[in-house]
Amino acid sequence: MQGQLLGAVGAYFDGPTRSLAHLNAVDIAVIAIYFGIVIFIGFYLKGAATTSEEFFMAGREMTAWIAGLSFVSANLGSLELMGWAGSAYEYGILATHWYWIGAIPAMLFLGIIMMPFYYISKTHSVPGYLHLRYGDGARALSAVSFAFMTVLMSGINMYSMALVMKVVLGWNLNFSIWVSSITVALYVGLGGLRSAIYNEVLQFLLIWLGALLVPVLGLIEAGGWTNLKHQIGERLGSNYVHLWSTTGQFSNNPMGIHWTGLVFGLALVISCGYWTTDFLVVQRVLSAHNLRAAKMAPIIGAAFKMAVPFIVIMPGLLALVVLPFHLVGESQAVATGQHSYNEVLPLMLVRYCGPGLLGLGVTALIAGFMSGMAGNVSAFSTVWTYDIYGAFLNKKATDKHYVAMGRWCTFIGVLISVGTAYLVQHAASIMDYVQGLFSFFIAPLFGTVILGMMWKRTTKEGGFWGLLAGTCTAIGLFAWVHVDPSALRYVALSPDAKGLAEDMYRALWSWLVCVIVTVGVSLATKPRPVAELEGLVYGVVPLPVEHDDHWYQKPIVWAAVIAVLFVILNIIFW
Amino acid sequence: MREEISIWFFGGVLFLCYGLIVFAEGLWELSHPLVNPPVLSNLHAPIWWGALMGIAGLVYTVKFWPKKHRD
Repeated sequence: MQGQLLGAVGAYFDGPTRSLAHLNAVDIAVIAIYFGIVIFIGFYLKGAATTSEEFFMAGREMTAWIAGLSFVSANLGSLELMGWAGSAYEYGILATHWYWIGAIPAMLFLGIIMMPFYYISKTHSVPGYLHLRYGDGARALSAVSFAFMTVLMSGINMYSMALVMKVVLGWNLNFSIWVSSITVALYVGLGGLRSAIYNEVLQFLLIWLGALLVPVLGLIEAGGWTNLKHQIGERLGSNYVHLWSTTGQFSNNPMGIHWTGLVFGLALVISCGYWTTDFLVVQRVLSAHNLRAAKMAPIIGAAFKMAVPFIVIMPGLLALVVLPFHLVGESQAVATGQHSYNEVLPLMLVRYCGPGLLGLGVTALIAGFMSGMAGNVSAFSTVWTYDIYGAFLNKKATDKHYVAMGRWCTFIGVLISVGTAYLVQHAASIMDYVQGLFSFFIAPLFGTVILGMMWKRTTKEGGFWGLLAGTCTAIGLFAWVHVDPSALRYVALSPDAKGLAEDMYRALWSWLVCVIVTVGVSLATKPRPVAELEGLVYGVVPLPVEHDDHWYQKPIVWAAVIAVLFVILNIIFW
Repeated sequence: MREEISIWFFGGVLFLCYGLIVFAEGLWELSHPLVNPPVLSNLHAPIWWGALMGIAGLVYTVKFWPKKHRD
């Protein structure tokens, strides 16, 4: 009986496609245990998600550790893991910037500066904060764009993940899409945000469990970090193993970026925009049980985020030296049948992991995908229910009705994601547009939120028109370069700039336009009375004083420790 | 009366299960070597990695074992 069952499951796993690896019974048992626990958690937590506060905000009962791990895990999707491992293979250690300067300062800024305003305003979402600060216009613009893009992105991630599973393990595309999405829909729909958070913490642990062996064994094979650097330098040049020293000119590094783009575009705008205003991640921190936990959560998340390059970037660098064949870009891989950059992490897993450990590694990839998708659908259901349905369509429903709406939204969000996955399967170019579109909203939104929090003179009209102008600028610049690629020299300031540099400068310009328009319109319009801005704007009322028993309980102390470590790491790998 | 299960208990159980499975697989491979072993299989990673996971899982399972308490 057991053999028949495994055979039936195996038939799904072993599709007709050529695959890199085959899972045996032990691997399938490892994956099955994971799915069993995840679904059990959803059913177990169903009883703890009966009110809207419980369903959408996890009852605001999470400790700093749980909120912090969930905060970083919601972002650690499998595409994030595989994509950046592939980027490390393609561009070298420069890919680490997206984990360090492209994340750590923004996370600390969120914890220390912005979290008090989000938390004490008791908002349920980022569009909810915009409503309190700017009124309904900015809220509607932000909520609709966020809800729409979140489910689309979720579908694109789902399709890409299924595609990788097909290439690496020969899994049937439909099987991967449906099994993972039904599981996510079940545990988020039943247990709400609390269930999503619990699973994200488990998934975070699993990702480390499954992926940590690859860099450890890889470094042993390569003869240590110094030998690895030496060999990469000999084969490809030393610009693959330096973080900053090659960024003085666009043409000096394989990524075609400049340090000004990294500092002002990536760190100041894109990273701050994502980590402080993307509700997918901010929602996790809002679930903290008090202000101190809410401030500590992003700081704890930053500490773990800083370590992630060891399991993501390091395998990419190791692959440059230990793999006996060369990886190529996605389009060339499709045309020639070679392996693409994005397959580097699964390839390294297969290289070092036998039965059991391979199952663990594959489970880590599935867990990463599911945590990303759970983050998307739980954020979608919250924004839809609170900021679109509850704010504009049905303002006077009962709490029970909103919880039911949230549960249905979770299932509908998953279904739309599945639909998007199939749409992308037939029109792959949609992926580029949607990924571009998502970045259009984040940079200007950061301008709107940060001005709203820091400057009490900002007005409702200023917020709305600034957000709209910034978004239109981003779309306009994207379209300009799309129609005339030579325009890149103006948008990214150099003809040697490449795609990632374009993203950084486009974000910077759209943010600047948002800020300038917001300031201009605000100065020309009537400010809100200061009394209405209590708890929303810096300097209007004193923030609650925290009474920590010991110095080591203060969030600012730990933020400083992380900041010092961050600086030291950047100097070491300069 | 109701039981509250900590997230760390779930994590402990998961680690313990995986530790036992991977450790047992490593021991099995000692007497039944793989036909196509992975690179560095001479280091017997499943044995020590499985044992580490199992010990960590056991500690967390015991420490965060669900306790009954009155609401």
